[in-house]
Amino acid sequence: MHSKRRFQWTMLAPVILLLIGLTVFPVVYTISNSFTDYYYLASEAKQFVGLRNYIKAVQDEVFRKAVWNTLKFMLLAVTIETALGLAIAVLIESLKKGAKLLRVSLLIPALLPPVTVALIWQMMLSNHNGIINHMLAWFGAGPFNYLMDIRIAFNAILFIDIWQWTPFAFLLLYAGLQAVPRSQYEAAKVDGAGKLRIFTHITLPNIMPTLLLVILLRTIDTFRLFDKVNILTGGGPANSTTTITQYIYRHGVYNLQIGYGAAASIIMVGLVLLFSVIYIKRSLGGSQNEMRH
Amino acid sequence: MRKRLAITLSLMMAASIVAGCQAKSEDKLVIAARGGSHVTAMEAVKAEFEQKHNVKVEIIGLESADLKQKISLDAKNKNGAYDLIMADDPWMPELSEAGIFANLTELGVEEDADFEESSLALGKHPYQTGDLYALPFSGNVQLFFYNKQLLDNYNAEVPQSWEEVLHIANKAHEEDNLIGYVIRGQQGNPIVSDFLPIFWAYGGQVFDEQWNAQIDSEAGQQALDTYIQLAAVGANYETTDIVSSVSEGRATMALGWPSWFIAGETASADYAPIPSKATANGAAASTGMIGNWMMGVTANSQNKELAANFLTFITSSDTQKKLVEHGGVPTRKSVYLDSELAAKYKHFPIMLEALQNSVARPRTAKWSRVEEALGVELSAAIAGTKSIEAALSDANKAVNEIMQ
Repeated sequence: MHSKRRFQWTMLAPVILLLIGLTVFPVVYTISNSFTDYYYLASEAKQFVGLRNYIKAVQDEVFRKAVWNTLKFMLLAVTIETALGLAIAVLIESLKKGAKLLRVSLLIPALLPPVTVALIWQMMLSNHNGIINHMLAWFGAGPFNYLMDIRIAFNAILFIDIWQWTPFAFLLLYAGLQAVPRSQYEAAKVDGAGKLRIFTHITLPNIMPTLLLVILLRTIDTFRLFDKVNILTGGGPANSTTTITQYIYRHGVYNLQIGYGAAASIIMVGLVLLFSVIYIKRSLGGSQNEMRH
Repeated sequence: MRKRLAITLSLMMAASIVAGCQAKSEDKLVIAARGGSHVTAMEAVKAEFEQKHNVKVEIIGLESADLKQKISLDAKNKNGAYDLIMADDPWMPELSEAGIFANLTELGVEEDADFEESSLALGKHPYQTGDLYALPFSGNVQLFFYNKQLLDNYNAEVPQSWEEVLHIANKAHEEDNLIGYVIRGQQGNPIVSDFLPIFWAYGGQVFDEQWNAQIDSEAGQQALDTYIQLAAVGANYETTDIVSSVSEGRATMALGWPSWFIAGETASADYAPIPSKATANGAAASTGMIGNWMMGVTANSQNKELAANFLTFITSSDTQKKLVEHGGVPTRKSVYLDSELAAKYKHFPIMLEALQNSVARPRTAKWSRVEEALGVELSAAIAGTKSIEAALSDANKAVNEIMQ
């Protein structure tokens, strides 16, 4: 028994060491820095400042705006991407021909790096040379200043994110749909159930774990929105597109205010956990229930 | 057998990792540079130095924010990854105070009177008066760009004041529904760089002598009012659209950096020094924002002397003349005044004039943060979410908090 335990610990040791080195230590270090005035280029040692960084961040109008923008973006993007992804998955699954080709071509945006996506859209949304304004001009509309107009900029970034990540939601949900037992559909048809009833009583319950996974992954990812904002708008106009990650980058990385950036990061982690915990609990609960059965 | 093979492979992998982590050899200089034309130009001329000193020069081109981050992070290492670094001139106070640069005077690099004075001053710490820590590598200065055809259509001369700029912009907008003036209003560095020359023309200064913010002043209000009026009869674009709209005659005027419009011997729009007065009868002020790229030797370089030699080589008059052929922007008077080059590059006299009358952004180690705070408020004012008074008052407050 003793030797079995030792063997188990020996096997676990590399993973535990990796976990401590790559996760536990950085998190603890970030938390400890968040209570200091750590400025990377300072010649003096960092000083403990208590909760000053947290108070300053919460009082900062720009930070509050960044939090609001991030939450708004997260709710809109996750809802639309999941709904669209599900609709496309159901549509493609019902196709008799061309499903393979559509499946592959739909995935292309999700394969592109976010920086490339931002640069492509920057060109397409350009006022003078952009293809979108050129196309609108044929119909006598525009040109629109997509990235500099306070009424449009946020929606433009949201649209680009939906364009890029709906295929990801589609892919997972499509895989989920494939796993639904055909016999359930056949039984429902024999019982005379309509399409809507089949969808709500058979399809949705069967793909619920996948749906929750999509929502969880997209929630975490939308909270980290950075590249598109930093490249396309720089957070403007008038902070209408500033996000928490961009705020952290400006203060913690570009201006090297490590202590302050760490405090803003910890607040962000708290928010992500708050929004993710429901899904994580539900997912874990689900799998435990399944195991019990 | 399998075990032995696995051990041998593991040892080989470990050896290669160790070899990869070893410090660079002594006969190599590594330069962290601003990517793009600077790297292209240096790559084109470095062979001469490499042959003479039997050394390999590796130039790493980085995006601006990435460059600042990397050179700052490397500064804490005992043996630096870079021997020479390029720095945007507003970073100089912050980087010099942090001890990132080696003292060039101590390395035997002498101050050369041939460098344009305003450019050379940027490399000293404290500004203008202190020791030399970096030399000007690229002599960028903002210019006023205009579409000559459009100005001729309105019988307008090149404007000398912002009152005239606004008048022409209004005319272009009202008579032909053209973009009167293009502002570069993206939040952050773009809007601050675009606004400050107008602010300076109105007699404004970001700080007084005690480093108290002076943005919320009469000059600030007048300048921002003019800026918003220009935006109202114009457009708010990013760089590519600014260049194409002015060059193609859809917009009349804009401020810009020379490399946007001027490539080699040709320019896609006409140019002049930035109007220096608020009104035709007003007092003239220096308004051309200087934006030189500096180069210095890192304090943690293991090849300081060789790096100093390279710095002397790359900023020498002879090399600058060669760099010009590859898109370089000179910082030496002798290069601007070279008759052969001046005949070929028509913008040289204007560039030199603009450099000589240029203004440096405030020399504080906190400029990046000040710029960030000011950019937020200017963006709010042009977007209409704040009044001019509220935006300037909030900017003043935010900047004073940063400077505390």
